[in-house]
Amino acid sequence: MSLSNQSELNVQPLLKVTDLCKSFKHATGILSSREQLAFGPVSFTLEPGQTLAVVGESGSGKSALVRTIGGMLIANSGDIYVKGQHLSSLNSQQRCLSIRMIFQDPSSSLNPKTTVGKILHAPLQLNTDLNDKQRHQQILETLKLVGLLPDYLAFYPNMLSSVQKHQVAIARAMILNPDIIIADEILSTLDISLRFKIVNLLLKIQKAKGTSYIFVAHNMHLVKHMSDQILVLHQGKIIEKGTAKSVCESPQEEQTKYLLLSHQPDYRK
Amino acid sequence: MLINNGFNEDKIQSPLGYIWSIFKTKTIAVVAMWLIIVLIIVSLFAPWFVPHSPLAQNPESMLLPPYWVEGGDINHILGTDDLGRDSLSRLFHGLQLTLGGALLITLLVGIIGMLIGAAAALTKGVKASVLHHLLDALLAIPTLLSALILITIFGPSYTNCLIAISLSLLPQFIRSSFLAIEQELSKQYIVAIQLDGATKTRLFRYGILPNILEPTITIINRLFTMAIIEIATLGFLGFGAQLPQTELGSIIASSMELIYLSPWLVTFPGIAIFTVIIIVNVLSEGLRHAVLEGEE
Repeated sequence: MSLSNQSELNVQPLLKVTDLCKSFKHATGILSSREQLAFGPVSFTLEPGQTLAVVGESGSGKSALVRTIGGMLIANSGDIYVKGQHLSSLNSQQRCLSIRMIFQDPSSSLNPKTTVGKILHAPLQLNTDLNDKQRHQQILETLKLVGLLPDYLAFYPNMLSSVQKHQVAIARAMILNPDIIIADEILSTLDISLRFKIVNLLLKIQKAKGTSYIFVAHNMHLVKHMSDQILVLHQGKIIEKGTAKSVCESPQEEQTKYLLLSHQPDYRK
Repeated sequence: MLINNGFNEDKIQSPLGYIWSIFKTKTIAVVAMWLIIVLIIVSLFAPWFVPHSPLAQNPESMLLPPYWVEGGDINHILGTDDLGRDSLSRLFHGLQLTLGGALLITLLVGIIGMLIGAAAALTKGVKASVLHHLLDALLAIPTLLSALILITIFGPSYTNCLIAISLSLLPQFIRSSFLAIEQELSKQYIVAIQLDGATKTRLFRYGILPNILEPTITIINRLFTMAIIEIATLGFLGFGAQLPQTELGSIIASSMELIYLSPWLVTFPGIAIFTVIIIVNVLSEGLRHAVLEGEE
């Protein structure tokens, strides 16, 4: 980073996405293939400590969008800037330190053959210069943050309950103190009471650490509760974008109204 | 969330330890494991304890039947062949070449094939296709036939026979290990490890290898079984072990013309090959089931 654009850093948003496009190739014949647009062009910004919710019906490209930002997919065109720096100019260490991902189902995203301690140790070992003692300290602090006792370090993932697995998955994302955490439908596999436990945990972490979240969710009431900004995707395009309050209270588009209607909170049923 | 040492276990069992404890409850598999260990020890130390040299000829006692049959001699428990050589001693020495060779091939092909398969699965582009399709030409021909072709190029000898069999079994093993790893790569925890910035070696060591135990056991078992059959077959056809080496297949071949006179000479080596294959398959099936139950 040169000195000249360091002054610009302060005015740069934490995350800036411009004209991001992603399409998948489907082979239709022996030589021919068809491009299917997943999403795009999509542009938005995210400020520190804010939560952005990506909503939309299934197949609208929301998972592909967050996976592209998380580094699992590579965009066809468009740019992602983190603190003013292009994502492709960052090496994998810098990327891990700024964007971390929580996967949809923690029972399949935690390696069944390694202990919780090792799962949490690996990102620190790979991405930081901390020594053994500092790493252990960091692991203990993160466990405390997500509400787990140090005893769990020796456990294997199959010994944990589903909510504890979620806590470990959050700990793995938080252990590097990233600026942005991407959560892809993490709440859909939990039942209602545990869902609120995790929601409150995420909000607590955000308050303590000032982390930004990008999350994909179905339940509009949770979205309203958790997020500052809402992005409504329909067939890969942003059809509505705004603060949570304005989108939920005065939706402009048919699709948004439909989403709000169809997602009554299930505990009232 | 209170922990007060109320857990049933004193210490936390690792997945491998758990699989081992399941395996220990499978009696037949444990028996098979001990039999394998005994067989390996026996074939390793055969020269020190067999009663006769496998090549010592004795014109006094030719074509003796086993000792429990009328006319048998307790000095030659399994009888003797047409030159008066002791069948039991020849069997042990034959086992040394057949079983030892098969184990050697399994070890070698297992390691090399797994490494090439992993390299092919974990790399992309031209490098991956070159590694993956390196030995595909051999895949088109049945393994025994390709081993025969290779041995006609190398010239018949026991070492060449081992090399030819290894080369003919390698493509299949590369393909199977590649498929097992490829399937594993789509799992979420592998993606998570990759996103942590792990190197390919680390990913393979901690992410993939511990999680492909079950397919690995199956393909290694198949590799071993095919290796032992091919060594015996090549020996039988006269392309493998050359005289005076004793190898189970070549013992059968040399006793073929005596099959009506003394059927024991063909029976015992045949039973030996059969037993080794059965024992190994029982062991691997037990291991595989233990792994499956342990991973549930």
